Amino acid sequence: MTIMEVSSLKKSYGKLDVLKQITFDVNKNDVIAVIGPSGSGKSTMLRSLVHLEEIDGGTISVSGNFLVRDGVYTKPQEIKQITAKMGMVFQHFNLFPHLTVKENLELAPKMVKKESSAEIKQRSTELLEKIGLTDWAEAYPGKLSGGQKQRVAIARALMMNPDILLFDEPTSALDPELTGEVLQVMKDLAQEHMTMIVVTHEMGFAKEVANKVIFMDNGEIVESGAPEELFTNPQFERTKAFLNRSLK
Amino acid sequence: MGDPVFIFGGFPMSLDYLISILKPMLEGAQMTVLLFLIAIVASIPLGFLLTLAVKSSFKPLSWLAQGYIYLMRGTPLLLQLLFICFGLPMIPVIGEYLVLDRFVAACLGFILNYAAYFAEIFRGGLLAIDKGQYEASKVLGLNKWQTMTRIILPQMFRIALPAVTNESVTLVKDTALLYAVAVPELLHFAQTAVNRDFTIVPFVVAGVIYLIMTIFLTVIFKWLEKRLKFE
Repeated sequence: MTIMEVSSLKKSYGKLDVLKQITFDVNKNDVIAVIGPSGSGKSTMLRSLVHLEEIDGGTISVSGNFLVRDGVYTKPQEIKQITAKMGMVFQHFNLFPHLTVKENLELAPKMVKKESSAEIKQRSTELLEKIGLTDWAEAYPGKLSGGQKQRVAIARALMMNPDILLFDEPTSALDPELTGEVLQVMKDLAQEHMTMIVVTHEMGFAKEVANKVIFMDNGEIVESGAPEELFTNPQFERTKAFLNRSLK
Repeated sequence: MGDPVFIFGGFPMSLDYLISILKPMLEGAQMTVLLFLIAIVASIPLGFLLTLAVKSSFKPLSWLAQGYIYLMRGTPLLLQLLFICFGLPMIPVIGEYLVLDRFVAACLGFILNYAAYFAEIFRGGLLAIDKGQYEASKVLGLNKWQTMTRIILPQMFRIALPAVTNESVTLVKDTALLYAVAVPELLHFAQTAVNRDFTIVPFVVAGVIYLIMTIFLTVIFKWLEKRLKFE
């Protein structure tokens, strides 16, 4: 079942086209890895899906509702409703430093969702247990390691019960020995059939966990497909060159 | 006057003498503290509003606020005080309605001046906040008001705190400018005693009183900083 359709996305900064004719679909339970060299437009593409970037042309629809149709955005109220179906995990975590781990998780549901605080509390307790940080509930983010911070950021996004979770290079700011714990949480989510779009440099993760890989270069999708095809039998020279560089 | 205890500053010191000069000086210090409290309570919110005005996307408002800050920071506080106390009444036609009580005029001057400094301090605090904080708030569905009050401002005040401390200490000492517009405060009574008794003891006492006030203030702010450390 398709839950997100993206077609002909275009964006430019002045004369520089950062996104050209980006088209892809997201099915329910998909785990899509978006790979490609730095500056290829991966992050911009991902950010445009949650309206952190405005696009200049193209269409994005989520569960049949148009966020933007042929370059025209819907009303602000609807934009909010549509983007609320998506959660986002940032490269630099963007946790709120003045709130404890627990408060980071509970603030948005309390402010935005009309739920009882008992429900919210229960969910935050469950999620903290899931990411293995129950003992850190009352700590401030400043006390956590990078890997712990990113796990909290994932839990914070999950608190809003998103249909799709977007990851913007979630392990790129981490020390190599800390990437594992974050990738493990993401693998667990994939196993629970969370729909995810992951911009990543972790080829291992893309191979193992994703069911679809999108290779972007220079603002366009060069090719996409199942990881076993794309990694073992890339069709284009650009893909081959990138994979050769990335896989040593 | 009791028995001299020791000689200091050319004057035979005694406890009685100290007490006799301390009384009016502490009364003066009350004026100092009152001015300080009024100025700080009013200029911090006003400064914050100025920061918002500077950041406003409505350009004329932003320019007006920037011009105001430039004016207030670019001219001496003493000149501003003299202008409000003695200058305003000299304006033709409306001047006669602008004769203010000296203390009220001084409060006004301090508030208007310090608001400009606090505005710049808060602006610095806002600039120091990563744009990722706004993005995370947006993606989590917080509206602009919630983002401002729950995420941005608490961090801004925390970042601005050391600079606010510094500015507040300066304010305590600047209250001595009341002397120039003839409002009787701490320094005024010290000066009176110095002239009358031909001794520098009252100046030393005044210095000690200022020190006690600033130490008190520093301790409060340090405590606040510690409490807001987020650790």
